Amino acid sequence: MTKKHVGQVTPEERNEIQTLFERRNGLNELAKIVTADNTELYEKLVKDMGETGTKFQNWWDRMAQKYQWESAEGGNWEINFDTCEILLVI
Amino acid sequence: MLQYLIILLDEASTSFCSYPLPLGGGREGALIPLDTLRQGIRFGMMENLMIQFVYPNYDLPEEYAEVIESIDHSKIKPASPPAPLRGEGSKGADVWVMESIKGVKADVPVVWRTDKHSLFDSEADIIKALENVPRLNVVLTDIETFTDKDFASYKEVLARLSQKVEQMYVEGKSPQLNLLTDRMMLSKMNNCGAGDTNITLAPNGKFYVCPAFYHEDEADSIGDLEHGLDIKNKQLYKLGHAPICRHCDAFQCKRCVWLNRKMTLEVNTPSHEQCVLAHLERNASRELLQNIRKHGTFLPEQEEIKEIDYLDPFDNKDTWQ
Amino acid sequence: MELRESRQPWKDGMAKSITFIVTKDCQLACKYCYLVGKNAKERMPWEVAKQAIDYILDHEDEFREESVVWDFIGGEPFLEIDLIDKICDYLKQEMFRRNHHWFNSYRFSFSTNGINYDSEKVQRFIQKNLNHLSIGITIDGTQRKHDLNRIWKTKEMEQGIQPKPEEEKGSYKDVVRNIPLWLSQFPHGGTKVTISSADIPYIKESVLHLYSLGIHEVNINVVFEDVWKEGDDKLFEEQLMQLADAIIDGGYYQDYACSFFSEHIGKPLDAKLDNQNWCGAGKMLSIDAAGNFYPCTRFAGYSLRSKKPIIIGNVHEGIDQNKLRPFLTLDRTTQSPQECIDCEVASGCAWCQGENYDAAEMPTIYQRATAICKMHKARVHANNYYWNKLFRKLELEGEREEFEKNKREVKPEIC
Repeated sequence: MTKKHVGQVTPEERNEIQTLFERRNGLNELAKIVTADNTELYEKLVKDMGETGTKFQNWWDRMAQKYQWESAEGGNWEINFDTCEILLVI
Repeated sequence: MLQYLIILLDEASTSFCSYPLPLGGGREGALIPLDTLRQGIRFGMMENLMIQFVYPNYDLPEEYAEVIESIDHSKIKPASPPAPLRGEGSKGADVWVMESIKGVKADVPVVWRTDKHSLFDSEADIIKALENVPRLNVVLTDIETFTDKDFASYKEVLARLSQKVEQMYVEGKSPQLNLLTDRMMLSKMNNCGAGDTNITLAPNGKFYVCPAFYHEDEADSIGDLEHGLDIKNKQLYKLGHAPICRHCDAFQCKRCVWLNRKMTLEVNTPSHEQCVLAHLERNASRELLQNIRKHGTFLPEQEEIKEIDYLDPFDNKDTWQ
Repeated sequence: MELRESRQPWKDGMAKSITFIVTKDCQLACKYCYLVGKNAKERMPWEVAKQAIDYILDHEDEFREESVVWDFIGGEPFLEIDLIDKICDYLKQEMFRRNHHWFNSYRFSFSTNGINYDSEKVQRFIQKNLNHLSIGITIDGTQRKHDLNRIWKTKEMEQGIQPKPEEEKGSYKDVVRNIPLWLSQFPHGGTKVTISSADIPYIKESVLHLYSLGIHEVNINVVFEDVWKEGDDKLFEEQLMQLADAIIDGGYYQDYACSFFSEHIGKPLDAKLDNQNWCGAGKMLSIDAAGNFYPCTRFAGYSLRSKKPIIIGNVHEGIDQNKLRPFLTLDRTTQSPQECIDCEVASGCAWCQGENYDAAEMPTIYQRATAICKMHKARVHANNYYWNKLFRKLELEGEREEFEKNKREVKPEIC
């Protein structure tokens, strides 16, 4: 596995994806303990997971469009939350 | 620097400050042994301290008077219950302490210990008293109970008193009410000074930061006549070691270290309640000073008191931390 | 293309730390432990934990920090894994249900002796919350160093009878067996090492041993208590010099870190510009089994040798903000003696507010304890030696620039 620095986002952009990242992790772990019989919370969770997932994907789409990062077949991008760097992982 | 020695002549010496009256309301308790009194005076003389004797509410044996008169001093005496003595009745007191100011007349400064409700209900009596005493020190005994509503009431009372005091100044009088007129005259901190500029000798021959520390816990002494003073962390009683107070300009605040310790557990840290009350007084003083000056020159050497947007310097700590 | 983020270490320091003292019991009876009042009776009831959580989440305006670390401490916290699991489940649900801002930024943090780390319940809990966990296992170094202090508690100890040295049973083997599992789950996991007087001869071997176990971050501190004997500073300095040589000569400085060595220590501090308090007491919140709030666990009764606890509220009445004022206005110079203010090597000299309070001549947090003074000075000497030697080596090898780019340093963590 190799990592290549292919771009940079602003701290504000980093904060946006970091919050979504944290929220997504939180929702995933919450999903392990909320069951369908807890109707209200379950429905809120399902709705939020959908919305967060969409926002998450939108961020990457938006940033990829904005910065035109290098990509590669079978590779993926990572963000370093400390440095705001975007890395291409192959 | 130590300047004053307060000597409690009896366990039941009157309270002249925020702390509660001694058990029994100031009746006969345990009189300071004559020899302890002599040693206390001797200590005061050797340390070059001005002595303030705090009296109980009964006549002392004659031999005590003789010892007391052996040194220059001032006397803090309680008014005899139930009604305060009038005029000449202060029996040689230099400061006269009372629990009610209805109809008071005196030729010495008067300390009125009161709770907030009595204060809020006594505007007329306060105005009257200001006409009849050279100085009125109002001491609140329940600062720790003040709520936001009480603060609002206090602010209103101070504003109304301020109008009357202003009027009296215009009439050529010079009333002194600690809550309103002290801050106008001050350009630096002028606080109680317990543990710093003054200490207290109790009838047991031990020194305390102030009478309240003695009444709260006799074991909480800071030395005794035999071994001298031993004030632990004495820097904490000084302004420079009080992080909130050293950035404050409510110069008239008592900075009561006993109340500090009671409410924040540290002698150098005031409670929110103490700070807000002091700032309401400060701000009322500011208004009063401005209003009196509209009538002519007044205290020309004193700077204006600045307008500030907080009542508790703690809320402003980001500017000095 | 799959999109993925790198795993980042949790950036604490900016987060509110809220500690549940879930038990005062522990399997061990470490000789240097500051918890003088450990016992098997005081376990946090679920109702108290729930009331505390409800109070905290109900008062979002009083807890404005962007992030939160829900910290669990003991004794040994994992002795109460069932309670912890219930607390964490409730926290997750409630933060989410209330739309609390902390749902977007929280961690569950544990400092454990590692003994029951591999138990089924603990492992199930870890799997359930893996993305939000920070777990540190305390292992003190080599077996002889670890077993010198970290010994098993016996029934007799509970009655105040200390075992003879030959009867003491160390816990090294019971902990070290769990290190590989822990590192597989938390590859960046660091350990906390505590140094008391008797441990000094084993510092070098212990740090190197921890590196050899695969632990890359060794957070190591001398105890703040007044335990130091004549000559300890010289021994300490010598050990750190040997450790410096070993780290540099062995090339460990590239991938490993030891908190004893820091570029930022040993400098004078400006009385005005560098006047911050070191300790976070008061910015944290600690809750005990009775539902009392403390500014930090060190102010709870079981942590204090000679002073009364400082209770700043409880789950029923909330926090008494007046009791927090001294903590939140405390600064370095106001609590320091003149010797510390004038000290030429002041930076990095730490203190524990709880120990300051416990050791003070009167009940105050404004009297700095200075028992570690000579140990700090010894550390500074060795630290200077370390950086001078390392930088010279890097310069001669033309690697200084590369090192500066990638260097790692352990943030001091003293509690």
